[in-house]
Amino acid sequence: MSVYLRNFLRFCFILILQVLVLNKVTLRWWLEPMGFPIFIPYVYPLFILLLPFETPVWALIIIGFITGLTVDSFANTAGLHAFATVLIAYLRTNVLNALLPKNLSEYAHQNPNVKNMGWTPFLTYAAFLLVLHHTVFFTLELWNFSNIGYLLLKIICATITSMFFVIIYLLLFTRQTMARA
Amino acid sequence: MRTFILFIRRFFNLILFLGVEIVCIVMISHTKTLQGNDIVSSANMVSGLLYKKQNDVVYYFGLGRMNDSLLNENMRLRLQIATIKGIDTLHDSLVHKPLASSDTSHGASHIVHYADYVYRTARVINNSVSAANNYITINRGYKDGIARNMSVLSGTGTVGKVVHVSAHFASILSILSVKQQVSARLKDGTFGYITWDGNRPDVLMMRDVAQQIKVKTGDTIYTTSYSFFPPDIMMGTVLKTETLKKNNLQLLYVRPAANFRNLQYLYVVENKMDEERKILEDSVNVKSKP
Repeated sequence: MSVYLRNFLRFCFILILQVLVLNKVTLRWWLEPMGFPIFIPYVYPLFILLLPFETPVWALIIIGFITGLTVDSFANTAGLHAFATVLIAYLRTNVLNALLPKNLSEYAHQNPNVKNMGWTPFLTYAAFLLVLHHTVFFTLELWNFSNIGYLLLKIICATITSMFFVIIYLLLFTRQTMARA
Repeated sequence: MRTFILFIRRFFNLILFLGVEIVCIVMISHTKTLQGNDIVSSANMVSGLLYKKQNDVVYYFGLGRMNDSLLNENMRLRLQIATIKGIDTLHDSLVHKPLASSDTSHGASHIVHYADYVYRTARVINNSVSAANNYITINRGYKDGIARNMSVLSGTGTVGKVVHVSAHFASILSILSVKQQVSARLKDGTFGYITWDGNRPDVLMMRDVAQQIKVKTGDTIYTTSYSFFPPDIMMGTVLKTETLKKNNLQLLYVRPAANFRNLQYLYVVENKMDEERKILEDSVNVKSKP
């Protein structure tokens, strides 16, 4: 399968999962606590995280913009998702450079995944960018700092839940060749 | 020139990044004023169709609950008809009589029209309660007569206002939104504004109610004729009252009458007199400016 086709299919899969399933499930962690936030976990940034290593930054920015705009058009938040996604798309290369021992050009024709990065670096990479994405998104969305504790609580809950979904995705879609070898 | 091109090459990614972010900020700032573009909204063709397909599947799971809510609404309406028929306000009321008898220029007695409402039903195909500005997508568009700024009610209370319309879909900004406030009144006629602070979908706020006004838990709050809703529609009931120390005004926590978590059917209300009223109000605004 060509790289483009595979990434396009992943784009469709993650976006449909986000829009038709996760956007419908508004979560909250306890049943009736006064003022505890309800939120939607945003997992679609995972698509940006899983693009191949050699994708140039300008392409990442444009793909991030398109991804964000697609989610925006479903959630009626023109530009909010796009803003947050472009930010993490731009910073992705720097974070990868900081976390990986080798130069990025040595990972030819590979996607960032738990096999070539290892669990801890990959989860650090995903968690850092997801925290950034959620912070920027929820701050811009509410744009009201009178109740900052609530905002922080919402960001933390949504990030932890998103990370949970990311780990499930990784467990489901990582081929188990390493275990057998 | 050469150094300029080198500069562009060196910082191409940063410049592209900043450019795209500025485009995003412009788009966000357009939606902050309630006037977003219709293309990047859930009323557009693709997202509308996708939501509709998804709703066609999920629809059947809610049928029992929907039947109950329709039955309750029917009972309420029947009760209302019974109370009106018993008194017959149109013929016996002292308010209406002089108007009908004094104006005989058209020959027959004539009824004064303040507003002429047309109700249309619509099905909810997408709904959200967790965002700071929540939108509802319905399966009716301008082909069915829906237009911008029409008000939307559920069987039990107020829901919101139409903001984006396409051929077959429309998206509604619900009153669970930090950027829109709705004029409301208490049972005794005190006016105020209903706002939402973006936290919980089952608590609205009514700020700045004077301290001497006695408000009890469970009091009903209605829409006024100033708002875009038809007047005297139930908005919610008072959940808790709180007197703020800093300005001695009451803050009312209000439980909305409509259950935003499981909206199934909505009524889109068109006010036939709205355009005339808007033109008149706008002309006054223009004249009053120096």
